[in-house]
Amino acid sequence: MSLEPAVRDQWYTLGALADFPTGTARRRLLSTDIVITRIGELISVTAAGDALPVRTDYGHLWTTLGTPERALFDMPEVRESDRRHVHCGAVHVRASGLRLIENFLDLAHFPYVHTDILGSEERPEVARYEVEQRRDVDELWATKCEFFQPRAAAAAEGGQISRYMYRVVNPFNVMLYKTPPTAPNRWDVIALFVQPVEPDLSIAHPYMLVIDDTSTDAQLIGFQQMIFLQDKIVLENQRPRLLPLQPGRETPTRADLSSVLYRRWLKEKSLTWGTEERSDRAA
Amino acid sequence: MALSSDVPAGATRAVRLMGEELVAWRSAAGAVQVWEDRCPHRGMRLSYGFVRGERLACLYHGWEYGTGASCQRIPAHPDLTVPASIKVQAWQVAEAGGLIWAGRDAGAPPTLPERSPLASLSIRCAPARFLATIGSGDGPMVSTTRGGVSLHLGWHQSADDEFMLHAAVDTGTDRTAALAVLRSLRSDLEAEMAA
Repeated sequence: MSLEPAVRDQWYTLGALADFPTGTARRRLLSTDIVITRIGELISVTAAGDALPVRTDYGHLWTTLGTPERALFDMPEVRESDRRHVHCGAVHVRASGLRLIENFLDLAHFPYVHTDILGSEERPEVARYEVEQRRDVDELWATKCEFFQPRAAAAAEGGQISRYMYRVVNPFNVMLYKTPPTAPNRWDVIALFVQPVEPDLSIAHPYMLVIDDTSTDAQLIGFQQMIFLQDKIVLENQRPRLLPLQPGRETPTRADLSSVLYRRWLKEKSLTWGTEERSDRAA
Repeated sequence: MALSSDVPAGATRAVRLMGEELVAWRSAAGAVQVWEDRCPHRGMRLSYGFVRGERLACLYHGWEYGTGASCQRIPAHPDLTVPASIKVQAWQVAEAGGLIWAGRDAGAPPTLPERSPLASLSIRCAPARFLATIGSGDGPMVSTTRGGVSLHLGWHQSADDEFMLHAAVDTGTDRTAALAVLRSLRSDLEAEMAA
């Protein structure tokens, strides 16, 4: 199978560095078998015997099957010394990785999928927010998002209006910024690095850079895993499992502005891996 | 496609019909509807949703669908008048003989005497073998008497080699005996397949 440049020439995580002890490990990325060999601090990654580029930023192992136009995206928050770096595990999801990213960008499901935690059925309204394609860095941003949350984070003691920003740095990697309960003038960062295994199978690697002096690591991880397992129920029961890009297959409303922009961006890149085959275009 | 008793008021039931995913659900007032098991918004299976009175609410974003399968409410936009074009794909539906019947471009619903739903069973069996053993009969259901018990059978093919058999009995039938007969019918069919 040949991969189109839009997916081939991107950086992907294979998991947290801590999950690769000295020795050999096998993973799968974009329907390709990958072998990782670690000797001390030296890590090599190969596919069919060919050495692949390696990066070890943000506590994760990164590689690419092609030649990315851009360096791995920058997360400046990683250099702020008061942030906790928390790996939340690797979650297998039987769905297209693009569905995972789209769900991560979605505010409107909070009251229904994360009931009484990230949203309340009494206050389901999604206020107008702004979306923007930043062409100089080829990123998507959604800003000025606000949502009432009964229990916004592990350290939350009551309801709050949370402010959110979303940043999509490439088709399978996204992060959100939200107001921490304990430091309203800062932004917590929650990243979702998606390892696309097959078109309809993904591994999600959530990673947090948070400002929280009170919660234990176990509490932070437990909270995030609870949220993600609620999402997994939805993600594995969307039909089709692949993301439809054909107009009319699904029905966006104003709350789905970021999804609309994301899908338009994927189309602009001629990305098809992990998307539903279209019947409105010649093959 | 199901026994009436498989879908009590307030419940949803996912049904596979020739590889298609459908949802049957019954409103609080007792009306059964059969739809494509897919919310038109983001494709979430509606069988995971919740029945709220006379509406079915999607688990993902709470969109509510009512009679006629049209969307009545989008909670993210409380002031929005929902366009009539937002609809789930609906099937024709009827209840007769203790069963729920669904069809597309189907004629009049079957007319059957009132019967008591017994049980639904899945049977792994090739279509030709299944029909040869059960017999397609003249009407929508086949009646068979085994061990002195009369079973009235409806069925649908769920996948390539799998059938769902929906059995009803006449009122007053010994249900324990009828269930034993139904199970032996399944064993016979599956044993023939394995032979």
